[in-house]
Amino acid sequence: MDFFVNPSGELSLYRQIMRQITDAIAGGRLKPGEKLASHRELSEHLVIAPLTVKKAYDELEALGFIETQRGRGTFVCARLPPTNPHDQQDQLREAARKLLSQAYLAGLHYSAVEKLLKDADRELTGGATKTTPGEKVKT
Amino acid sequence: MTSVLEFNNISRSYRKGVPVLDGVTFSVAPGEVVGLLGRNGAGKTTLIRIAMGMLFPHGGSVRVFGLSPTEEPVAVKKRVGYLAEDQVLPARLTIAELIDFHRYLFARWDEALERQLLERFGLSTGSKIKQLSKGEARQVALLCAVCHRPELLILDEPAGGLDPAARREFLETSIQLLNREGTAILFSSHHMTDVERIGGRMVLLDKGKVRLDRELDGLREEVSMAMVPRASLPDSAVIEKMRGCLGVRLVLDEWHAVFNGSPEIVDRELRTTTGMNGIRSVSLPLEELFIELVGGDRREVGAA
Repeated sequence: MDFFVNPSGELSLYRQIMRQITDAIAGGRLKPGEKLASHRELSEHLVIAPLTVKKAYDELEALGFIETQRGRGTFVCARLPPTNPHDQQDQLREAARKLLSQAYLAGLHYSAVEKLLKDADRELTGGATKTTPGEKVKT
Repeated sequence: MTSVLEFNNISRSYRKGVPVLDGVTFSVAPGEVVGLLGRNGAGKTTLIRIAMGMLFPHGGSVRVFGLSPTEEPVAVKKRVGYLAEDQVLPARLTIAELIDFHRYLFARWDEALERQLLERFGLSTGSKIKQLSKGEARQVALLCAVCHRPELLILDEPAGGLDPAARREFLETSIQLLNREGTAILFSSHHMTDVERIGGRMVLLDKGKVRLDRELDGLREEVSMAMVPRASLPDSAVIEKMRGCLGVRLVLDEWHAVFNGSPEIVDRELRTTTGMNGIRSVSLPLEELFIELVGGDRREVGAA
């Protein structure tokens, strides 16, 4: 997994890491049961404080996305946190409505929104064109 | 946990009675990394020199590992690594001679770390100090400050005058030390991105006082800035008195008001208090927060 952080970005560094990991899980680039770099390794790789990475890992663990096995390391949970499909459906419908409303207000056509979705899909699943650290387009 | 470094109501003035530090209180826990921020002249270096026992405070007390740095300087300095802002190294020595001298002073000298840093910085030990570039001299000074594996590292503008690549090497070294030893670090800096990368907490000094002392995680989500047109609110007093207001500044014809709280919450509270619509609040990157809190044209609001 190739992570990056952008200190002048909009989110705190630990939230940037959390988002990238959940994105990677959602897009299948991180598989259930897959091992993650230790928080120390990732902190040296990203050149950010180890406690910041640990905070991201702790929060993801509390949310049920990853688990730490003492002495073995940190892994993507084999079973991801259960969600109520009905709640999920409502939330997604609302998010879709919001997205379209914002797009239409900005003068975009439906086809342009479709293209945005395809781009986002490519980014999540890893089919996207290579982006350089810190310059990735926010989705 | 006991603190490795503790400033308690520190004050210090120039001879004419102009205060440099005016009641500074904060502490650094073992393994904690604190970025000390502030404009030039805010008192950062004076505070650091007080911690090193190089200056007496005129009021208040400082404790390093529970000891007074002026009364027990040797016991303190054995366990502290210090990099001064304008570190002067003996020009006629070679790097090897300077390192030998430090190794002789400190019982706990880590030769593996020494070799590793020499290699990372690409320094050849035969070079004379006076032939080194500014960046290289800084790297030698950093090496001398960390190789006795201090429990507390005090760095005054460690990346001052370094190019981006050398700054990155310095940051990488610091992160590695944190990972390996859990060294507590207090460092002053103007580079907000450096502070955010290695810092766990920031202490913002302004005119000799602590203006903001906060954990960095989540700071961006917890502090936001509202922009209010002066035309619709001629006097900023009503905003300044609001709960959670950290500072108000006039920028062109807008009040910039920094608040504790997410943009949504701040928008809502401002609407209720002022009865105005069309207020925009945004979250701030650290750099902007710094400017908003200690930049020019600002109104004084009680310290955070």
